[in-house]
Amino acid sequence: MSYAADRAEIEDLMARYLFAMDYHDADAYAGCFTEDGELDWAMGVAKGREAIRAEALSFKAKIGEIFKDSEGRPAKLRHAVCQKAIRIEGDRAWNTGFWWEMTNGGPDGSMMTPSFGIYEDELVREGGHWLFRRRKIYNEFLAGRESGPANPVRAMDAAA
Amino acid sequence: MPKTIARTALAAAILTMTGVPSMPADAKQPTYSRTYAEDRAEIEDLMARYLFAIDYFDWDSYVETFAPDGELEFASGTSKGRDAIRAAVTSFSSRIGQFYHTEDGKPAKLRHVVLQSSIRVEGNRGWGRTLWVEMANHGPKDTMKMGTYGIYEDEFVKLDGHWFIAKRRVLNEFLKGRESGPTNPVRDMDALAEASKK
Repeated sequence: MSYAADRAEIEDLMARYLFAMDYHDADAYAGCFTEDGELDWAMGVAKGREAIRAEALSFKAKIGEIFKDSEGRPAKLRHAVCQKAIRIEGDRAWNTGFWWEMTNGGPDGSMMTPSFGIYEDELVREGGHWLFRRRKIYNEFLAGRESGPANPVRAMDAAA
Repeated sequence: MPKTIARTALAAAILTMTGVPSMPADAKQPTYSRTYAEDRAEIEDLMARYLFAIDYFDWDSYVETFAPDGELEFASGTSKGRDAIRAAVTSFSSRIGQFYHTEDGKPAKLRHVVLQSSIRVEGNRGWGRTLWVEMANHGPKDTMKMGTYGIYEDEFVKLDGHWFIAKRRVLNEFLKGRESGPTNPVRDMDALAEASKK
């Protein structure tokens, strides 16, 4: 496999992950991780695909508490990924990616952009499919979850 | 907790206890062809050309991103074929200035942005689910304002070595009746891609 081929599949995985997350599809979300995968996010660390699935099932309620539209209904939260620095070595890969999010939680149902941060990922190819072994989500607007101050790509390159 | 979620949680718990592989068959990642990266790169380029054509009112380039019998479905309705698509979008474009304008009433500079895409390719057919957002200089004192977001639900076709849009559905989370979901749009794309293999 060439770098471009692996990268294309990993980019597709990242998109599928976000569609699963934003449309509350816990099975598809958990399916982006390996059986022993780990999700480290603002509300805790989930280890193993089952724990991640359980966590994903709670996203809708948790997110609905935090993000509301102007009438108090759960807002439509959408995550976006922008640039991704991806390293690939055989069946292992690492990603440092920038994300931000948007909702319809502004005045009179207008758009809002509540926060941004980065993903630090370890991926593996199992049975021909790239999956997350570990995803750590940093958020620059949550105390204790900020990334940096050092360039996160340096740590990724060292790991690779 | 909604019933369906409770049921799924219970099902997941049972599967864990019995040790049956917990991964539902339909949540697996797709198997990508050897030419996936190449096809995906060309489809991404097509989607970028589509947006530059719209934002710079280049309707010749715009309609050429569609297959000759391509279809566009957006807030104004469904159009089939390049001539019908051109008529629909030029009419829409002439009206959009009412909503997107600077403080002195000039048409705003509207820019569409594509974010992540999940793309499936099977032979000469492709499917995409892509998040988009738009922004313009129509905020207070002509500052930048992000107005709306939604998704594209696309079918692509490769004709004579070139990828085209066979069908594009433009969904917008801020337009009543044009919202995406509530189910994961990637699921229905996967079903279409898998069905095409049979």
